[in-house]
Amino acid sequence: MREEAHRFGRARHLVGIAGVPEGARGQTGVIVLNAGLVHRIGPFRLHVELTRQLNAAGYPTLRFDLSTLGDSGASGGQQTRTQQVCADLDDAMNLLAERAGCDRFVLVGLCSGAQNAHVVAATDPRVSGAVFLDGYAFRTLGYKLRHYLPRLVDPGRWARRLMRRTGGAAAAAPKVPQAVFAVAPAPREEVIADFTGMVERGMKLYLVYSGGISNYFNHSRQFRECFGKVMSHPAVTTRYAAETDHTYILTGDRARLLDGIGGWLSQNFPPANAGRHA
Amino acid sequence: MRADAEMPFFFGPDAGLFGMYHAPSVPARRAVLMCPPLGQDLIRCHRLYRQLAQSLAEEGLAVLRFDYHGTGDSAGGSAEVDWERCVADTALAAAELRRRAGVDRVVAFGARLGGSVALAASEQARFSEVIAWDPVLDGDHYVSELDAMQAALREDASRFNQPRSHSDVAEQWLGFDIGETLRRQLSTLRVVAAGVPTLVLDSMPASATPRWERIVSQRGRVAAITPTTPWSDLERLETAILSHPLIQAVAGRLKEVA
Repeated sequence: MREEAHRFGRARHLVGIAGVPEGARGQTGVIVLNAGLVHRIGPFRLHVELTRQLNAAGYPTLRFDLSTLGDSGASGGQQTRTQQVCADLDDAMNLLAERAGCDRFVLVGLCSGAQNAHVVAATDPRVSGAVFLDGYAFRTLGYKLRHYLPRLVDPGRWARRLMRRTGGAAAAAPKVPQAVFAVAPAPREEVIADFTGMVERGMKLYLVYSGGISNYFNHSRQFRECFGKVMSHPAVTTRYAAETDHTYILTGDRARLLDGIGGWLSQNFPPANAGRHA
Repeated sequence: MRADAEMPFFFGPDAGLFGMYHAPSVPARRAVLMCPPLGQDLIRCHRLYRQLAQSLAEEGLAVLRFDYHGTGDSAGGSAEVDWERCVADTALAAAELRRRAGVDRVVAFGARLGGSVALAASEQARFSEVIAWDPVLDGDHYVSELDAMQAALREDASRFNQPRSHSDVAEQWLGFDIGETLRRQLSTLRVVAAGVPTLVLDSMPASATPRWERIVSQRGRVAAITPTTPWSDLERLETAILSHPLIQAVAGRLKEVA
């Protein structure tokens, strides 16, 4: 199978790479959105590896750059960013429909990509599944207990704090890593309503959160703490990968993520009848 | 900007190489091939390469950006990256650029290992000039630096909740699988002067500045770019490298020799 390079979209402003396996016509198409500002190949080439693995499993794919990211330009219209994202995904779905006959789509996004995928998944009936990697989350009471309690009972931590107060050797301020990726918050009730609407519509969801967002998410139980009973719906699958970082820098972590997504897809959108998802 | 002025495409014998051609608005008299660096530097420089390509195309130059086999959007896995193939892919890309632009005179630009590839490919690709930004000249030092950063990554508390095992980080450099062949090739890499005019743009920290005279002694010169570029800072591993002075320096050089 060969990949195809496309310039497409309502203003021919978008750039993407489509992968269309032999005989894949009518299958569910998988569209991968930008993670932060990284161009369509994804952090450490994550999106290239993901789309090629899914192509090998029979799924048509498109990894592309949203307006003004990567190699894509601006559409020139007077739209909000959310409107642009929805219009870009409309263009992307039209392209994959044209190239592979897809009429149902699964969106995959990491961080801001998850946020953008969420917006489109909540509103576009062609989206039948979504993979949210480090998407929306909220610091819950459970998070705070898990985060702060161990620190309260750690004598070493108290000793270091005392040293700092008395101007001891440990007075140097700890380095704060630069924030590269971030998900802008949305009202929790709104996010829960979106998830509920998605599963009621028949969508399948896969939420994978990493240890790289431990500043606001730190346990598998937090899915339910954040979003309530919708997380127990059979259409929702969750996974907390505590050991990994936010962008899957280690190739073993990346392979496990890709296998997880591939397994979830084959279970929920088997290639043989993926185009006839209920 | 005309949208179709930037066309993505695949080329090469198996159509496995990804390219982005920036067509100038007027018939080109010269062309620039932009050789990408490898690994995470490729991702960090993507935006800057695009900005530079657009700037040069506005000046009437035909520009091709591309990815070597096993990198970016090109075919092949990350573990398949091979130095000799990078050099051969560069020659293929130069031929593709000549064909699309209808010109023979091609200048090469490259950052870090992209600059090293451009220098190594200068004869095979028939470059008329090489502009290399902080090129890697001695591979053994570069390999040691990457190994040290990978070792530090294993216990990077800003990235992992717990230090990772040695096996978790083995045979990789900063997010990418590394084949034994590439490691061996880079370990023994010693870039020599190209037989064409060479401009080295130097933004390395003073403590790390290589001995550029080895590659510019006969037909080249060195120009300093400020501020220094944080190529080897683990904390900025996922931060894009942007440099307006670099764009000005490259565009200025190409105007000089127009």
